[in-house]
Amino acid sequence: MSRLPQAVLGVALLGAAAFWLLTAPSSVSPSDYDGLVGDAKAGESVFWAAGCASCHAAADASGPDELVLAGGQKFATGFGTFVAPNISPDKQHGIGGWTLVQFANAVTQGVSPEGEHLYPALPYAAYNKMLPQDVADLKAFMDTLPASATPSAPHEISFPFTIRRALGLWKLMFASTDWVITGDLTPEQTRGRYIAEALAHCGECHTPRNALGGVQRGKWLAGATNPDGKGKTPNITPGKLTWSAADVVEYLTSGFTPEFDSVGGHMAHVVENMAKLPESDRQAVAAYLQLVPPVK
Amino acid sequence: MQKRLIAFTAMAALTAFGVLAQDAEDPFADVVETRHGLMLQMASDLGTLGGMAKGEVAYDQASASKAAANVAAVASVLSMAQFPAGSEVEKAADSFALPDIWAKQDDFLAKITDLNNAASAMQTAAATDVDALKASMAQLGGACSACHKAYRQPES
Repeated sequence: MSRLPQAVLGVALLGAAAFWLLTAPSSVSPSDYDGLVGDAKAGESVFWAAGCASCHAAADASGPDELVLAGGQKFATGFGTFVAPNISPDKQHGIGGWTLVQFANAVTQGVSPEGEHLYPALPYAAYNKMLPQDVADLKAFMDTLPASATPSAPHEISFPFTIRRALGLWKLMFASTDWVITGDLTPEQTRGRYIAEALAHCGECHTPRNALGGVQRGKWLAGATNPDGKGKTPNITPGKLTWSAADVVEYLTSGFTPEFDSVGGHMAHVVENMAKLPESDRQAVAAYLQLVPPVK
Repeated sequence: MQKRLIAFTAMAALTAFGVLAQDAEDPFADVVETRHGLMLQMASDLGTLGGMAKGEVAYDQASASKAAANVAAVASVLSMAQFPAGSEVEKAADSFALPDIWAKQDDFLAKITDLNNAASAMQTAAATDVDALKASMAQLGGACSACHKAYRQPES
C-alpha cells in the first residue's frame, strides 16, 4: 500500500517529462536554409500572398503606410486578445536583427528567437508549408521596408493560455505540415493549393475550429464563425460557392461578387493583396477551390 | 351601416396612425432606400461591364460606354446628402452604415472622390477596348471596397 504514492509520483514525473519533451519548441533544419539568398522582388509577391501587412500594419493603414509593419492591431478571440507585434526591420523593436533561420523558425514553426512558442494568431499552421526559398525571399523583401520604433504591446490573455509551453501540444495536434487537398493535381492546381493552404492561409478564417482552436480539416473551407466571434465567414466549398472560375478571379481582382456587390470587412484586405499577384495566381486559386470537397 | 362606417373610420385611423408611428420611428427609411437603390443601379451597370471583362459577353463599345456613363452618373450623386447623421447601423432600419462615416467624414468624402475618379477613368477605358476595361474594373472595385471595408458593416 505504501508503494502507491510512489507509483503516483512516478507516473506524474513521467507525465511531466513527456509533456516537457512533447512541447519542446521545434526548429527548421538550418541546412535547408544554408546558402539561400533572398530575392526581395520575388519576396514582394510572397509578402502580399501571405497577407503580412493586413495584420501587422496599423488598422486603418492604406497606401505606403501598409508597408510600415509597426503592429498594434488587436485580435479579440475566445482565448483573449492578441496584439500584432512590430515586425518592421527596426533592430530594437522589430525583427531587423533576426537571422534567416530565426525568421524561418518564427514564420514556419511559430518559435521565437528566444525559443518560446508563438501564439497561432500567427498562422504558422499554414506557413509551415512554405518553401525555404520563399521564406528567404520574404525576409529579403521585409528587410527593405521602413523601420518603426514602436514597441510591441503585450497580448491581453489570461491563465491558462499564458502557459506558452502548452502550445507545443497544440502544435502537435493541429499544426500539420500535410496538405489538406491531396491527389493528382495539375501544376495550376498545385500552385493554387500552395497559395490557398500555405501563403494566403484561407483555412484560418474559412474553416471551423474545435473547442481548442484547432482547424477542423474535415470541414475544410466550409465557413466558420469569425475569429472575433462576430459574424461568419462563408462556406467557399463547391457545395455552396457556385461561382465560375472567372467569377472567383474577378472577385479576387476587383472585389466584385457575381452580383456586383463589393467585398468588405477583413476580406477586403485579402482582395487587395490577391489583386497584387499575377492573374495566373488568382486563376490557380480558382482552380484549387473547385477541388475542395463540397460541404452543403 | 353607421356601425360599419365607424368601424371603417376607426380602422383607417389606426392604420394611418400605424404608418405615421412607423415613420416617426424611422425617419431614415427614405435615405436608406435611396442609398441601396443607387448601389443596385451601379451593380446593374457593372454587371454589363463585368460580363465583358470576364469574357462572358462580347465587348461592345456602345453598351460599355453607356454603362460606364451610368456608373459615373451614380457616383456623382453620392454625397453626405444620402448620409444624414444618425442614419447608421442599428439606428436606422436596413442600414449597414458605420458611425465612422460621420466621425471621419473627410476620409469618407475623399473615398467618394476616389470613386468618381475611378468611374471617370472607366468611361475612357470602356470606350477603348476590353483590356482597358478589365484594368478599370480592378481600379473601380478597389474604390468600392476601400469604402465598404472602412464604412460598411459586414453582413451576417
